[in-house]
Amino acid sequence: MQYNVTVIGSGPGGYVAAIRCAQLGFKTAIVEKYNTLGGTCLNVGCIPSKALLDSSEHFINAKEHFKEHGIDIPDPKLNLTQMIKRKTDVVKANVDGIAFLMKKNKIDVHTGVGSFVDKNTIKITSGDGKEKTITAEKVIIATGSKPTPLPFAPFDKKRIISSTEALELKELPKHLIVIGGGVIGMELGSVFARIGSKVTVVEFLDSLIPTMDGTMGKELLKVAKKMGIECFLSHKVTAVENKGKEVIIKAETKDGKNTIELKGDYCLVSIGRRPYTDGLGLDKIGVETEKGQIAVDDHLKTKVDNVYAIGDVVRGAMLAHKAEEEGVFVAEQLAGQKPHVHYLLIPGVVYTWPEVASVGYTEEQLKEQGKAYKVGNFPYKALGRARASMDTDGLVKILADKQTDEILGVHIIGARAADMIAAGVTAMEFRASAEDVARMSHAHPTYMEAVKEACLAATANRPIHL
Amino acid sequence: MAIQIKIPAVGESISEVTIANWLKKDGDTVKLDEVIAELESDKATFELTAPSAGVLKILKPQGSTVPIGELICEVEPSQAAAPVAQPTNSKPAASSSPAAPPKASGGVKEMKVPTVGESITEVTISTWLKKDGDFVTLDEIIAEVESDKATFELPAEATGILRIVAKEKQTLPIGGLICKIEITEGAPQTSGAAPATQKAEANVSNDKSYATGHPSPAAAKILSEKGISSEQVPGTGIGGRITKEDAQKAQSQPAKPAENKAAAPPSTPPVIASGGGRNVRSEKMTSLRKTIAKRLVAVKNETAMLTTFNEVDMKPVMDLRSKYKDQFKEKYGVGLGFMSFFTKAVCAALREFPAVNASLDGDEIVYHDYCDVSIAVSTPRGLVVPVIRNAESLTFNQIESEVVRLATKGRDGKLSIEEMTGGTFSITNGGVFGSMLSTPIINPPQSAILGMHNIVERPVVKNGEVVVRPIMYVALSYDHRIVDGRESVSFLVRVKEMLEDPGRLILGV
Repeated sequence: MQYNVTVIGSGPGGYVAAIRCAQLGFKTAIVEKYNTLGGTCLNVGCIPSKALLDSSEHFINAKEHFKEHGIDIPDPKLNLTQMIKRKTDVVKANVDGIAFLMKKNKIDVHTGVGSFVDKNTIKITSGDGKEKTITAEKVIIATGSKPTPLPFAPFDKKRIISSTEALELKELPKHLIVIGGGVIGMELGSVFARIGSKVTVVEFLDSLIPTMDGTMGKELLKVAKKMGIECFLSHKVTAVENKGKEVIIKAETKDGKNTIELKGDYCLVSIGRRPYTDGLGLDKIGVETEKGQIAVDDHLKTKVDNVYAIGDVVRGAMLAHKAEEEGVFVAEQLAGQKPHVHYLLIPGVVYTWPEVASVGYTEEQLKEQGKAYKVGNFPYKALGRARASMDTDGLVKILADKQTDEILGVHIIGARAADMIAAGVTAMEFRASAEDVARMSHAHPTYMEAVKEACLAATANRPIHL
Repeated sequence: MAIQIKIPAVGESISEVTIANWLKKDGDTVKLDEVIAELESDKATFELTAPSAGVLKILKPQGSTVPIGELICEVEPSQAAAPVAQPTNSKPAASSSPAAPPKASGGVKEMKVPTVGESITEVTISTWLKKDGDFVTLDEIIAEVESDKATFELPAEATGILRIVAKEKQTLPIGGLICKIEITEGAPQTSGAAPATQKAEANVSNDKSYATGHPSPAAAKILSEKGISSEQVPGTGIGGRITKEDAQKAQSQPAKPAENKAAAPPSTPPVIASGGGRNVRSEKMTSLRKTIAKRLVAVKNETAMLTTFNEVDMKPVMDLRSKYKDQFKEKYGVGLGFMSFFTKAVCAALREFPAVNASLDGDEIVYHDYCDVSIAVSTPRGLVVPVIRNAESLTFNQIESEVVRLATKGRDGKLSIEEMTGGTFSITNGGVFGSMLSTPIINPPQSAILGMHNIVERPVVKNGEVVVRPIMYVALSYDHRIVDGRESVSFLVRVKEMLEDPGRLILGV
């Protein structure tokens, strides 16, 4: 078969690129190794983890908060099998949705491992060993990423597990030890903490979710402690040992003076993800990688003229929505358009409860740049809506240019932060000032009022409700 | 005190110019006599120099068309520039706020009924789209005006507060006062505006801010695709942001004359990649193009133009040229082209047929006892027609040097108006682009134009035998109102005879 564009990988970057290509009139194919479309995000990432996060949130509400709301129920019991099944159903509905979208857009789906024969020819080897080749004028690599193992303790998928296994557990861990207090570790850690596991987090750096604004890490640490999650910051894991029924983790402080030993039944290693290009045959066509990451130029083009790469396999944050933007960007470029991706304004989100979301610069980055800035904070506690819903943990933090009042960063930890951050992105795309946002009417009572109040605080330290 | 710079009177018939290019930015420090801008009229490009050293304050954006005498910028003398004291007031926060309200600059722009057409003497204000006291921005449509022929829109000639003079349905003569605009400007510089501050605070301000010129995401994509820098687009959004609509309406600025030599013609079609883009672009006509358009249509409508043709065997001229071109070049430092032969032949023929060299002025025919030959030069900005003065008295080498000089200046956009006015007859050479035959249009108020074309080897009959000769078709378009068929045809035959036997040029037979 001959195509204008072939996309390898059907995650959020790949399938979105394919749809946009098809919309623009290209004859398009997509190659996927697994039997279901959607990649990590839909199968073993964003969607299933959010499904479990919500289930666990309902559980904790039923268990601890209903009573206060005036709802008396017998003590709720966890049915993990059903919880995992519901998650599986959600995943299935989503991946079926992608299959439908492929059909609707007349995109050919080829199942099997895609591998370059030459820069225009791709061999597809399916699970049963059958091979076929297709040709394409342009190829978009969107093969994503895989969890990074600890160098001294590879995943055994029994006791030492990655996020993929954590989403499929058959039993409730008694003590889950999470190595890495980043986004994935905190999301899954909080799921299991809520449904009854003891959770301990070991983080190498001195803050949780260390890539985000420092205030967010601090607030999340408070919330985690409230939830009963024990956190060891600035600790380096030195050994992880599977003892059959338990797993032993040894860690030490950075100076090596204090060591700890933790015993648990599961160890979730969530220290990051690495770009995944295995079996692509990049060496055959001369596409260069650095630590597995594909080198691309500003147009997301590789060293080879007709081959592009997007999403987790290239530089930048490993986020589904970043990959989607890049997929659209490449497709439109191929059609002769000149789209933009504004990397600074790709929001970052952590789906703990409460959620954390941010866009723009962190306070640490502004300090490093020596930029004169103002800070406006507004706590959820002071928000009528948050009190009504009993979601009073969290705050909104606005960073604005000291001279011009332009918003430079929006950081939210609190209920619905992930949805609210879109307003921050919009404001920043139009380079709104803090006062601009503060002067826009925000419906009452909503969580978004916290953003308005924080903007008032940033403008001239004049929030109304504080 | 800032020195105000107004558009100088640049030529008799020129009433407005376009700011083609600001060479200095707002707030730049300029030196005495430094060139700060390039102005373009429908005839030529001029450079605007700084009358004093100091800090430049631009009042009219690039690309705007302004009448002669209009204030376009100010230069604040340098010694005074640094310590300009902010007007002392009790609200320092207000004056330093990026969204400072517009302040009156003290200037008032009187808007008068423009000349809308030859025969139109009065217009009626049909609708005011803006109210008295409204804040209007430059080029914003403020009213609809009706003449007996058409309705047209009236754009604001300045940014500021509108003061309406003529009411709706009122009929005004051409030149009559329609309204005044109290010009306002962004920078808090003038102190006399303090009382206005508070009142204007509620108004949407289009003042400069840190976000001025920032395109929205969709606008950024559109501008990239048009190849227009966001700096060239005036933003109408809050704080001067560039909205999607601004980007859709944006057009690329005319290329800088200095860049013309290297730059591709501005009409390069958009690049289409494999996907088959179907972009459509609109570009505002330059003054030059507008003038060309107006003039050409006028000629078609107002003259009785027709064209006569002939063919010229170029062999004799070509032989002569190849025989002497090296010597000629060595002696005069300029190549021997065909233009000198044609110009000489035309001058000789014009003497014999003076009507072809005449022009109509009302009811009078003006005959010229000299031959000022206009030559059409194609430039990246469009067609220009510089004049070879007293061509009848020039030698071959003088004509060739003059052609080279004028063509080079034309391509660089440096021709003065004087160099382009007053021709009595025109020559155009479509042959350089490969034209076999065409009907040129008269360059008014002249009454004839000679069209040269490409030279092609054709079979012709000489002395009863078919031979191959280099042939050029020539065309003479003429205004039949003053040139008769006999004269025009004979004129062209005369030109042909002299070119086919260049000896006649010497002997005058």
